[in-house]
Amino acid sequence: MGVIHAKVLDETATNIKRFSKQTGIAEPLEKPDIREVDLENIQVTVDKINVDGLTRTKDDIIEDCIKDLFQAQHFQEVLLKAHKARIKLEELGCFKNIGVYIDVSKGPKARSDGLEVTFDVKEQRRVTGGVTTHIGNNEGVLLVGLRLPNLFGRGEKIQLEYSHGSKKTSNFNCSFIKPFRGKYRPTLTAAILQNQSEWPNSGYKQQERGILFDLGFYSNSLFKHNLQWEGIVRNLSTLTRTTSFDVREQSGVSLKSSFKHLLSIDLRDDHIFPNTGSFVQLTSELAGIGGDVGFLKNEVSVQDNYYLFDGHVLQASFIAGYLSSISNTRKISIADRCYLGGPLSVRGFETRGVGPHSDGDALGTNSYWAAGLHLFTPLPFRPGRGGFGELFRTHFFLNAGNVGNFNLVKMNKSDIIQVLISNVRISYGVGVALKLGNIARLEVNYCFPYKFDKGDQTHPGIQFGIGVQFL
Amino acid sequence: MPPNATIIWKEEEILRNIMPTPLIDRLSVELGAQEPWPKDVKLYQPYEVEQILLPDNANCLAVQAFLKMCNLDYQVEPRPNAEAMSPTGRVPFIKAGRFVTAELEGIVQFVNGKGISLTDKLDNEQKSDMRAYMTLIRNVIEIAELYICWVDKETYNEVTSVRNGSVYPWPLNHIQNREKRSQIIKKLKVLNWYSKTIEEVYQEVENCCEALSVRLDNKHYFFGEVPTELDALVFGHLFTIITTPLPRNDLVEIVRRYPSLINLVKRIEMEYFKKEGKL
Repeated sequence: MGVIHAKVLDETATNIKRFSKQTGIAEPLEKPDIREVDLENIQVTVDKINVDGLTRTKDDIIEDCIKDLFQAQHFQEVLLKAHKARIKLEELGCFKNIGVYIDVSKGPKARSDGLEVTFDVKEQRRVTGGVTTHIGNNEGVLLVGLRLPNLFGRGEKIQLEYSHGSKKTSNFNCSFIKPFRGKYRPTLTAAILQNQSEWPNSGYKQQERGILFDLGFYSNSLFKHNLQWEGIVRNLSTLTRTTSFDVREQSGVSLKSSFKHLLSIDLRDDHIFPNTGSFVQLTSELAGIGGDVGFLKNEVSVQDNYYLFDGHVLQASFIAGYLSSISNTRKISIADRCYLGGPLSVRGFETRGVGPHSDGDALGTNSYWAAGLHLFTPLPFRPGRGGFGELFRTHFFLNAGNVGNFNLVKMNKSDIIQVLISNVRISYGVGVALKLGNIARLEVNYCFPYKFDKGDQTHPGIQFGIGVQFL
Repeated sequence: MPPNATIIWKEEEILRNIMPTPLIDRLSVELGAQEPWPKDVKLYQPYEVEQILLPDNANCLAVQAFLKMCNLDYQVEPRPNAEAMSPTGRVPFIKAGRFVTAELEGIVQFVNGKGISLTDKLDNEQKSDMRAYMTLIRNVIEIAELYICWVDKETYNEVTSVRNGSVYPWPLNHIQNREKRSQIIKKLKVLNWYSKTIEEVYQEVENCCEALSVRLDNKHYFFGEVPTELDALVFGHLFTIITTPLPRNDLVEIVRRYPSLINLVKRIEMEYFKKEGKL
């Protein structure tokens, strides 16, 4: 009966009815004998499920993915559950492609309303790899990767990656990933990593070497949690001889041991150009259980999208963060502090351009907030409508934000509010945004910094931004 | 900041836009040289009591002696990460205004740039002589100190690893010790010192002391009545060797065999370090 494609994610009873109605109306003359069929009324049972093409994948995880299908009562449910099973199989990461075939069951034990569902899978090779390019935050990255998928037959994999970025970052990462069975869909990751990055706006470079454990799970179908522990040896050094002494003082090796909790809820219909839906992410990081770096950092990021009319979308976003020290003996380094400004955050400013600087090097603060109001519209006169043109959006924005150093414990509320609202930075502008693949967004904006502080580094005029997460 | 410093800063900003960084570094040193000796000069070094190691201590003391010989004011600023802060990765370094300069040679040059010099009276031959002896100390005594601290098992386990790791939390102290040790051993291998036995190392030190004592020849300082940076360097190393308690005290024994050198060290200590204490 054919292959079910992954496109029908939002398949519901009404959608299918509408679809069958539409096809019925569209071609009534050529096929006069077409009948409208309500799939919900066709009572069927699933007699048999075949999975073809398994060699080293273990049966138990496959059973977990497909056993729901036996409970289907009518034909529509069979279609939906087969589709769900297919997504689950895909999520295992063991298979290259998966085809689903539904047929009436045959054989001596076949029931009259019985169906036979066949999943035709092709397993991944033992070793895969390649050289790819991808986009990090405001830089292009060349990635060399080697993967051993489905190592022990239950979706485990080992991943070796080396990447080199156009801004002199380089990362090495070796991780072991193990998905578990169960309703919270937990995944355990253990990784050894080494990252090297340069921060010219703050005048330092950083090398991180360490280990990371991550437990990801869903507390319900929408709430995604990540619990992480990382032990990182960090080596901070100055970029040039003329680096500010305030930055130079921070050089040296430190050990950071931190626990992190990430919670994200993503209800958007698209990551790059969402039309509707909202996104919330909460991050808490506690460093200082072991090691000599200690702080508590909380960050929140919220985005909401409203569809206005004819491809016009209004997007409101807000980010905020607060960093507090947990003891006098544990240090907070320049790499842990909060920064604002740049093409991915408050546009119209240099990267890390908002806030205190020393000899031109951004020093960071312990708190920040920023908000953005964006109007995305299709390109004027809609060239390439329905095709190439859909990759572009015209983009009007208004960004505001502030940074500040304060102490939640020692200062009273009105003082804190004073710090947060005095000297708010505002910028606005217009630009074109481009969707790159389905992973990144490229923006070329003309920015007008409207309100800024003496010490800030502004970037009026054309600003170029490329990245995954934007304000 | 003195008024002309801001001008320099602005010049540097302009230069930054048109020139590659190493050139600016050099230029800024030269520009900085035109300023007089600032009041807030700080000398950064590791913690003396619990952290510093024999070779680093010797170099820090040599710089201090040199600055005192030049009659220049400075404040010692102990920092656990002094080595990482230093522009050359070695201690000590000084911060004068906006400029940072590391190690004796660099600091001597920086001070000379301000028109202060201990070697004005020397002729060219004496100057090259002095440089040769300084190189000798760098290549023999300092390397011997490194050998004893990092290669000799007893000293490494009892003193070096404890002190070097003292500023890091567990397990970073072990990682840092291992990393530093392998760096030093690599350096010693390049210099063909790693394969030496401890007796051969002592012999080298003895030869060096012999040469120095012959050059000193019962004079007040190496080049007559006024001290030079060579005296500062000799003082830094020998004073540290004599006063640092180590599991092996053979080095002290060797140095003590040269009373003229010991007298020089005592003289410099009395002249430049004790005076201050009495005041």
